Amino acid sequence: MVIKGKLREYLNNCYQCAMCSGICQMGRIQKYTPSRIIQLIIEGFEDRIVESGMLWDCLTCNSCLEKCPYEVNFAEIVRDARNKMLDARIMPKIAHKGFYTLLSEIMSKENITPEKTFEWVPSGCKVSEEGNILYFVGCAPLFNYEFDESMNNAVDTLKILCKIENEPIVLLKDEKCCGHDLLWQGKIEAFKKLAIHNIKAFERSGASLIVTSCAEGYRTLKIDYPSMFENFNIEVKHLVEYLYEKLKANKIKFKKEKKNTKILKLTYHDPCRLSRFLPKSFNIYEKIRYIFKELEKIGYVYNEMVHNKSNSLCCGVSCWLNCSDKAKALRYHRMLEAKDVADNLITTCPKCEIHFRCLQNDTETVQDINVIDLSNLLENVIEVIPSKQNK
Amino acid sequence: MKIVEKSSKKQDIEFKPNIVCFCCNWCSYAGADLAGVSRFQYPASIRIIRVMCSGRVEPAFILKSFKDNIDGVLVTGCHIGDCHYISGNEFTKDRFERLTKILKFLGLEDRFRLEWISASEGKKFAELITTFTNQIKKLGPLNNI
Repeated sequence: MVIKGKLREYLNNCYQCAMCSGICQMGRIQKYTPSRIIQLIIEGFEDRIVESGMLWDCLTCNSCLEKCPYEVNFAEIVRDARNKMLDARIMPKIAHKGFYTLLSEIMSKENITPEKTFEWVPSGCKVSEEGNILYFVGCAPLFNYEFDESMNNAVDTLKILCKIENEPIVLLKDEKCCGHDLLWQGKIEAFKKLAIHNIKAFERSGASLIVTSCAEGYRTLKIDYPSMFENFNIEVKHLVEYLYEKLKANKIKFKKEKKNTKILKLTYHDPCRLSRFLPKSFNIYEKIRYIFKELEKIGYVYNEMVHNKSNSLCCGVSCWLNCSDKAKALRYHRMLEAKDVADNLITTCPKCEIHFRCLQNDTETVQDINVIDLSNLLENVIEVIPSKQNK
Repeated sequence: MKIVEKSSKKQDIEFKPNIVCFCCNWCSYAGADLAGVSRFQYPASIRIIRVMCSGRVEPAFILKSFKDNIDGVLVTGCHIGDCHYISGNEFTKDRFERLTKILKFLGLEDRFRLEWISASEGKKFAELITTFTNQIKKLGPLNNI
């Protein structure tokens, strides 16, 4: 079990400045911090790291990469180690008894073709199976099993898309899970099977643009699919990017809601998959702040939290791993920060939303803050500017 | 679940489904016992897992079975109102109604069934196993639909 290739290069670059250990959000409570783990691997104690199973506790929030002067990608080392830990039968504790991971794993079997129902599609929205613009729904309909509000996000995103686009939006019937959770849990074989199925389905639909409203799905489709499968070259956009471009092109504007006289104080939680996990040129966190700037013009108030942009704190859970008291403490900390500056916490990651809401059931002090997805906020205020050429 | 060996995949040999059956300790397991004691015949396709209450059966158990290529899953418990733990089976009912939606999405809903069997219903238990086994036989093995 020796780390090779690109990962070995990462390791050799490390000069133990321990910036990563300083920033690590689990570092305060962990026995080993990232720099110690890297040092142990370099010294040849990789087996000990694998056997101890300590890397299951990593949040994969990528804060360490953000501060690293040599861009040592610790999250990828963790991913590789997790794959080895699975081989060595050192199992993680997956939240919800592994229910959602098992669903993805069942879906990864070739002989199982899921059939999505479109009961949730709001009336007035045109959907089809072939077309130009595809909306990747992801696992939201499956989360419906436990989280009743999980569909709101998908419904509102579809409403926004239908409002802006004249053509019908493509929804895939046999769309499978994007595989993000399996990838970060080290189950790479199952991930590849899911990806192959999805890429085939995308190509069959003839779409030239995939829009998603999920941060994790975006990162997976945008970065991980093309890196593993070279033939996948359909453009992928997150709802934030999509709306930003439409705003810049003067195709949409925000109008004030008549009913709503109360001033809403907003703040935004940057999900790790939309900030630190993307190359710096993507600049999503500036794009979303542009959207908020536009919203300020119609009377919303936007305040920044203490930790923001690429510095933002983690919601505590990624890919359904290690939801524990430690993770809840992190989340509590984050919600208190939000409570200081606003009463509405906006996020663009459905899982962050689920986890924040879950904490609200447990803790009274954070109950008065309203956790909403960006699409829920924008659904009512978006207005399409009719193009002049058509008139 | 890996202990359960798959029967030979050759087509000329009759397909013997592997079915996992969760039985609650107080009613269904006694019912299965009664079926044995009374010598009711039923196919030897099931593997019984005894749990203290049907409320103990997590939906994740069902998914884990399907993931490991089990062809069908049965969950049995006491009749509503008869639960030894007063309301355990009511939780079960609510839980599996939600799970059925998910299974429908995966196309597996025919391979799963929730039934109530009391300690005196040995005959019903044997009949249930027979009908369910036949149903699974018609559907064919899970790993090569």
